[in-house]
Amino acid sequence: MSRRYRLLPVVLVPFLLTACGSGEGGHDRHAAGTRTGAVSAAPAAGHNDTDVMFLQLMIAHHRQGLEMARLATERAEREEVRTLAAAIVATQTDEVKTMTSWLGRWSKPVTAEHVPALHAEHGALPATGAKEIETLRRTTGADFEPAFLNLFAAHQHNAVKLARMETGKGGNADAKAFAKRVQESRTDQIRQLLRLLSG
Amino acid sequence: MRRSIAYPLAVAAAAGSTVVVAGPASAHGYVSSPPSRQALCAQGAVPDCGPIQFEPQSVEGPKGLRNCHANLSRFAVLSDESREWPAKAVGAKVSFRWVLTARHRTSTWEYFVGGTRVAVFDDGNRQPDAVVTHVVDLSGFPGRRTVLAVWNIGDTPMAFYNCVDLNIGGGTESAPPTGPSQRPTATPGTGPAPTQPAPTQPAPTKKPVKGAPWKPGVTYRIGDEVTYGGVRYRCRQAHTTIRSWEPPFTPALWLAL
Repeated sequence: MSRRYRLLPVVLVPFLLTACGSGEGGHDRHAAGTRTGAVSAAPAAGHNDTDVMFLQLMIAHHRQGLEMARLATERAEREEVRTLAAAIVATQTDEVKTMTSWLGRWSKPVTAEHVPALHAEHGALPATGAKEIETLRRTTGADFEPAFLNLFAAHQHNAVKLARMETGKGGNADAKAFAKRVQESRTDQIRQLLRLLSG
Repeated sequence: MRRSIAYPLAVAAAAGSTVVVAGPASAHGYVSSPPSRQALCAQGAVPDCGPIQFEPQSVEGPKGLRNCHANLSRFAVLSDESREWPAKAVGAKVSFRWVLTARHRTSTWEYFVGGTRVAVFDDGNRQPDAVVTHVVDLSGFPGRRTVLAVWNIGDTPMAFYNCVDLNIGGGTESAPPTGPSQRPTATPGTGPAPTQPAPTQPAPTKKPVKGAPWKPGVTYRIGDEVTYGGVRYRCRQAHTTIRSWEPPFTPALWLAL
């Protein structure tokens, strides 16, 4: 079992990079990089494919989080849930701007190609994809708050996971520092969400 | 068996199926309320749990196990009864809610008390709904009990395990989590909140002193002022502070003065 799990990333990485990188350069460059282990080394431009992929995926992830959190600012019953949601909306809106500006500076698109498949592979979206957000949108009354808290906890677990990829394999110092903050802040948010669920 | 698992995964990845890329452990799901033991660890209500606090969704083992930690030694704390896991006081009918970080096709969800299976929900190998809640009648099991909640995955031999400690028949009132276990933060809702949470007034947090140093676990309101790194900031969005929300990184929350 454990051996299989260790092998998985090796198998998947080429697909991820191909689908998620700049969209130029094609398979060969990525494949070669994977083989030689050079993918994670920061190129002259100060970033690598993991940085680009991380930002592209995280922007999409943030946008879905923002949709859910905005609903919670209006519908959650408890003020502390609404306040947490509002603070998340405020901070993540800023983060999307920052991430977008980095990609712009690197002349990379904000949206990765083949996003749905990618997200699925990352485990980043299945928890809170369009279908789940739509369900939340239709959920009202006393059912809303637990639905939001559970979905958002899952959403932030996946943000931590995505950030862990960047802190491990990213090349850009700013992006890695940001990923570290994502890990910490989302871990703490999960604590708050779970406490609110238990309360 | 071995080959039949490893190979399809790679193929599925190429096809863009829902395969989870392994992190330290692959992610999946857990019972969030009433809080499972891993949820209590992740929320900091039970301290010193080790790695489970960072991945409560990863208690995965082969189907058919009947313990709290899925035989994973790094999560052995979950089966450590000496930890005095706080039991949530619940009525006879209990709503079990799940956090799912990956929506695997699901065969069944099972609930056990002691050796008895008290409920099963058959998902027919479908992806779980957006919100998974099961109402289980535990009227036959009054008093303090540990419920084992199991999520049986449809397309792998694996399952996810949760132990949920309950005090059944104790009414609908929530039991305070571990009492005032020494907690570094003062997040609202973390203190002993035995009754329904007050709708308008968050739990009393340390009243921030104007211009005092910023710190995590404090609830700030619009207009509150803090000092961080020698700079004074004014709160522009109410929030409870957490790590990495320091004022220089969160201009959406703090205005430098």
